[in-house]
Amino acid sequence: MKPKLSFEWLHACSGCEIALLNYGEPLLALLNRVEIVHFPLLMDHKYTRPEREDLPLSLPEADIGLVSGGVAHQEHLTVLHEMRRQCRTLIALGTCATHGGIPAMRNQWSTADTLQTVLAAGDTEPGPMLDEPSLFLDRVYSVDEKVPVEVSLPGCPPQPELIAAIIEALLNKDTVPPANKSVCETCPTLRKGKGQTTIRRFLDNADYDRDQPVSRMRCLLEQGLLCMGPVTAGGCGGKDTPLCLRARVPCRGCYGPVRPGGNQLLDMKNALASNGIDHRSIVDRKSLLRFSGAHGLIQPAGKRR
Amino acid sequence: MAQVLTIDPVTRIEGHARIKIHLDEQGRVSDARVAISALRGFEQFVVGRPAEEIPRIVSRICGICPWMHHLAAVKAIDGCFGVTPTPAGHRLRELCQVMAHIHDKILHFFFLAAPDFVLGPDSDFSVRNIMGMVRQDPELAARVVRMRQLGQVMLDRFAGKSIHPVAGVVGGFAKPMSAEERSDLQRDGATLLDFASFALDYAKERVFHRYREEMQSLGAITTGFLGTIDDQGGLQLYDGRLRLMHASGTTVDFPAADYAQHLSEQVEPWSSAKMVYAKSWQEGFSLDPAAPKGVYRVNTLARLNVCDHIGTPRAQAELEDFRAQFGRPAQGTLLYHWARLIELIYACERTQELLADDRITDPHIRNTATPQAGRGIGCVEAPRGTLIHEYATDDNGCITSANLIVGTTHNIAPMNLSVRQAAASLIHDGVYDEAILNRVEMAVRAYDP
Amino acid sequence: MSPEPKIIAFCCNWCSYAAADLAGILRLQYPGSIRIIRVMCSGMVHPEMVLHALDKGADGVMIIGCHPGECHYLTGNEMALARAEVIADTLEDLGYASERFQLTWVSSAEPERLVEAFRTMSGRLMLLRSEQQTSYAKKN
Ligand code: SF4
Ligand code: SF4
Ligand code: SF4
Ligand code: FES
Repeated sequence: MKPKLSFEWLHACSGCEIALLNYGEPLLALLNRVEIVHFPLLMDHKYTRPEREDLPLSLPEADIGLVSGGVAHQEHLTVLHEMRRQCRTLIALGTCATHGGIPAMRNQWSTADTLQTVLAAGDTEPGPMLDEPSLFLDRVYSVDEKVPVEVSLPGCPPQPELIAAIIEALLNKDTVPPANKSVCETCPTLRKGKGQTTIRRFLDNADYDRDQPVSRMRCLLEQGLLCMGPVTAGGCGGKDTPLCLRARVPCRGCYGPVRPGGNQLLDMKNALASNGIDHRSIVDRKSLLRFSGAHGLIQPAGKRR
Repeated sequence: MAQVLTIDPVTRIEGHARIKIHLDEQGRVSDARVAISALRGFEQFVVGRPAEEIPRIVSRICGICPWMHHLAAVKAIDGCFGVTPTPAGHRLRELCQVMAHIHDKILHFFFLAAPDFVLGPDSDFSVRNIMGMVRQDPELAARVVRMRQLGQVMLDRFAGKSIHPVAGVVGGFAKPMSAEERSDLQRDGATLLDFASFALDYAKERVFHRYREEMQSLGAITTGFLGTIDDQGGLQLYDGRLRLMHASGTTVDFPAADYAQHLSEQVEPWSSAKMVYAKSWQEGFSLDPAAPKGVYRVNTLARLNVCDHIGTPRAQAELEDFRAQFGRPAQGTLLYHWARLIELIYACERTQELLADDRITDPHIRNTATPQAGRGIGCVEAPRGTLIHEYATDDNGCITSANLIVGTTHNIAPMNLSVRQAAASLIHDGVYDEAILNRVEMAVRAYDP
Repeated sequence: MSPEPKIIAFCCNWCSYAAADLAGILRLQYPGSIRIIRVMCSGMVHPEMVLHALDKGADGVMIIGCHPGECHYLTGNEMALARAEVIADTLEDLGYASERFQLTWVSSAEPERLVEAFRTMSGRLMLLRSEQQTSYAKKN
């Protein structure tokens, strides 16, 4: 019997699923080895029978479950608990699932504040309020804050080969490949030591020779641009140049902290301070947590603990 | 007995949605609704951020069309900072935007929609999907998978990241195009153009002619349309003026920055998504199925309806054929699929057109921006429809407010009408089955929400 | 809630820990809820250790090292000073009151100075707690 795979997305953007599809033709071979039992983007398996609103949501049993997105709504929670119940191995897929991702930036405000701002945006006549705002959770949670997971695979989105490698490893009952070190690890830029001592905004391109490869470009942090490579888990470019650096723009930390429990804001400021760079020259320090604001790291402003 | 049928989740679409169909005592459809739950909070959490960072944040609204959000935001922030992108920067952005349309259209047609037609709307749900297509025609499926990936790989190779891009920057673009990159893209672009022509021929034969009746009748409603055009009335995806067409065919053109004079937003109590209606028609907003008011549609069918012509040859020939058969404006809801494949051809042709122009390799790709107080509106045509980002900044160039109207927001009202129409015409005396409910979903799928 | 705020004090081996020893020998009185952790140098206390202590329920954290110029490892305490600013800023960014952290210099011959620093910190945390309770009561 083929191993069963089940996919769900919660407070997600579909990017993680598209990343999997970007694996291309080898994906077909992989899919041939498994049976997909639930995958809302690609197949028609439903939660309940249409006439039975009273029945609880039910999902099929599976050997491996992949969940993308954070948890922000009562319905996400229901789906997640059912996934956990039915899947032998659960993978938190993508930075939203592992650390809250970009949507957890809203944890800086209360859910009520967000509802008000979003619904009132624009010069529109205010519409009637939502019927059940109570179904929204008080903040955006990562998946592992709500249920235990066996594998955390960050990345926004995770590299297709990484997703496939993990599924392959689980199918072969191999050990899951260990996480990489920092983004800087695979970054080929030139590092000379002492660079700029302040951080400037990204209002003009980095200094580089367009005819030369990235390996001839000076490290962006040394050029005075905020690059979060030192405090971000590596892997986005495989063994090669990190993806953003290929476009000659600085890393913004989309794979989350290097150590799963790390804190990118603290680590980055500490890295800057240790190198004599003025961390106060960063305009928006909270944005250092833009991918990892779950686990209670981003709190509503004004609520001093 | 009065009853509610729930389709949850609506599947083979690009997001979350649920349909509820209300039946009265006699088993007739009394109401039907699509609800899209979408409190993501982007309009809230961009506030206070340095504006130049926004394009890399709002891309996360959607992982299928991140380039659209990325570039609409970049355009809007240009406006806030009062900077004009360099000509090469402008072209590189458009190139990436049209290339990003390619993978989306292949995804939507072949992976999501085609199983309904190729395997049949009544086929078993467990095979009615891309995996079923693989079993039925492995060669075609492999080609489709390869072609969609190629569209993404082209973007990856040139711009570093295809999902959640980073290369669009305020003032222009982050990296220039080398001669080598250009010829690589031209070669792969030609392969995709061939595939696009094949895709439309295949669909005409295997889908559109076989389902001629449904193409016009399933979920059929009569509405207005909104899309982007250039100065000559030609189809545009990246930049241009908006054209709002009334169901009667009369049109009004206006700059995207004036959108608020023509469109208005409303939140319905049963859905956390906003709805937009055509305020300038001065008929108000009503979802009464007998006499809807203020309702217009966006996305592929709308763009083909509002444009006078398409600037690239193969797509223009297909537009003429399409118009000869269905008139202008064409109203059939499933015709969205046909229009989508014509746009696929346009996107491939436009890619080649932009690459053929030597200005694309000009090294002057970015103008320096200066943070300042301002207001900016950025508008592009996303696969799902007209996408509008509006921001205001303070003296330090940080965001003070944001308003986003995404493609699906325009289409929520018409989708509701279509679902209701489909349900009412298919369900009689309370009798329904899986195949009927799937047809109701097909009415939603056409819109690619 | 316990009346005395829980304080984690990272004391460097060469000065402040020796001062704490001496305070014990001299039987100087200081709040009993202070937990001393001996580290080789104030420069080795990573900001994450401070944050971890607060996350796990400490009311306050102190780093206590040698006077400037007297660090056994020459510049460890300069590193601690550079980090102290980062820590204070970060605590505010993360929603913690920065008063919950304090960096202090004490030599091995200054047990009174150490005890005084403990008492001051404890008093400051008591005050902070009562302020937070009032503002909480006002809001609800
Ligand atoms: S991790 Fe990134 S790609 Fe995945 S769902 Fe979240 S925002 Fe989308
Ligand atoms: S800081 Fe950025 S540019 Fe420098 S090495 Fe690390 S990833 Fe590369
Ligand atoms: S360079 Fe940084 S931000 Fe860019 S993809 Fe890699 S981890 Fe993500
Ligand atoms: S040894 Fe005491 S501070 Fe370094």
